[in-house]
Amino acid sequence: MKYILVTCKEALEKAGVILEDIDAIAVVNGPGLKGSLLVGLSFAKAIAFALNKPLIGVNHIEGHIYANFLDNKKIETPFISLIVSGGHTSLILVEEIGQHKVLGKTRDDAAGEVFDKIAKYLDLGYPGGPIIEKIALNGKKDAIIFPRPLTKTSNLDFSFSGLKTAVIYFVREKIKTKEKLQIENICASFQQAVIDTLIHKTLSAANKYNIKNIVIGGGVAANECLRKTMLETGKLNNIMVYFPSKELCTDNAAMIGVVGYYKLSKGFSDSFDLDVFTG
Amino acid sequence: MKILGIDTTTDVLNLAITINGVMSFDFMMKREGITHSAIMIPTLKNILRITEVRLNELEGIAVSIGPGSFTGLRIGLATAKGLAFSLSIPIAGVNALESYALRWKELPGILCPIIKARKGEYYFTFYKKRKNSDNLIRIEDYQCMDWFGIKEKLFKLDKSVFIFGYGLTEIIENNETNQYPNNINFIVRTKSRCYIIALIGEKKILKKKEK
Ligand SMILES: [Zn+2]
Repeated sequence: MKYILVTCKEALEKAGVILEDIDAIAVVNGPGLKGSLLVGLSFAKAIAFALNKPLIGVNHIEGHIYANFLDNKKIETPFISLIVSGGHTSLILVEEIGQHKVLGKTRDDAAGEVFDKIAKYLDLGYPGGPIIEKIALNGKKDAIIFPRPLTKTSNLDFSFSGLKTAVIYFVREKIKTKEKLQIENICASFQQAVIDTLIHKTLSAANKYNIKNIVIGGGVAANECLRKTMLETGKLNNIMVYFPSKELCTDNAAMIGVVGYYKLSKGFSDSFDLDVFTG
Repeated sequence: MKILGIDTTTDVLNLAITINGVMSFDFMMKREGITHSAIMIPTLKNILRITEVRLNELEGIAVSIGPGSFTGLRIGLATAKGLAFSLSIPIAGVNALESYALRWKELPGILCPIIKARKGEYYFTFYKKRKNSDNLIRIEDYQCMDWFGIKEKLFKLDKSVFIFGYGLTEIIENNETNQYPNNINFIVRTKSRCYIIALIGEKKILKKKEK
């Protein structure tokens, strides 16, 4: 609330655009925290109303998918999208621009969340993703075999809490027997378990629906190891794999604008009674 | 000066337009299960149509800054900021308790506006009138207590006191207020109050302009 006006002014200034030049207002109306969503939505509605411009409600996860279009406009539909961050782990089938079907999502922790929780448990700091990634560089990814949850089932859901527990039990056991903790190996093996699971499920989705394009997004998509392994796997399977540039993986508003652009070009806009949704 | 007042302190959406210090329209709306966010702009649109005021004729926005429902206040304030920004007009924040008190400033005695908070508590304060002036002086801090605590404070007063505001009907229903001392008066008449917010806002905006 305190920063919304300043940030808005600064964005316009840096882009060299005046408010009157804006063609439409795109705003996230969910999922997220109700209080914050309402601030953004109310502010956006007021501007759209005052300037008589279209209002476009955007799903935050949609934003992560379309972040890819900022770097690469030539992505062809249909594609499978894996959105993986601290808040989400979802597989989405995008048949056409604006037409999405959720194929699966996490039943408990999001992938980014497990990175954070494991980093916290190992006292490594926050955010967990980049820290574990860095430590993992010096470890062996096959040193410890952690579970790859739900990879033996045909559904496309994820579950990471079992993997989290497995890592914690492993560490506890080592402490009990007073063995030396090889943090590098734990990090590398844990990270590999997450990546393997994500890739396995995404590939299953692509095979199931016979789709040749995969689009990744969300904060965890900045993980170098995931990017490398996913691209290699794509090549082996004759599937095009797209990642946004690393800075567009994390939450940003440019991606929301991109969704707005594509929706508007399809003639879509929302009415002013648009409301927020949290989950 | 044409001013838009926005009050989302409670679960009633209250909007008003004042023109040169006079109420033009004051509208209250409560719809079960629908947020202020969903009805704010459609309601505003209607009010502008009814008053025949064009959006770009507005010269200021006055908005309640509470105390009250945190979510509601956010919606009101964010809307006010968005409108003021787009229309390049000033914005003024107004204390809701003060606006309630000004609504009843003619009453002879201490004024006690209340606003229902959560968990059976109420925001409140006391005002008295300055001699030979329209201005009110706040004689207590802004506070939040259950009715028992407020009652204790009221019973200590030996002057006339008038209690009004949001959530009062409930208090009267649940307490034997008819047995309270004679100097304690309740005003249950529900009345739109947002135009007062617009009027206070106008004064603030004019004052700023002078500087
Ligand atoms: Zn996100």
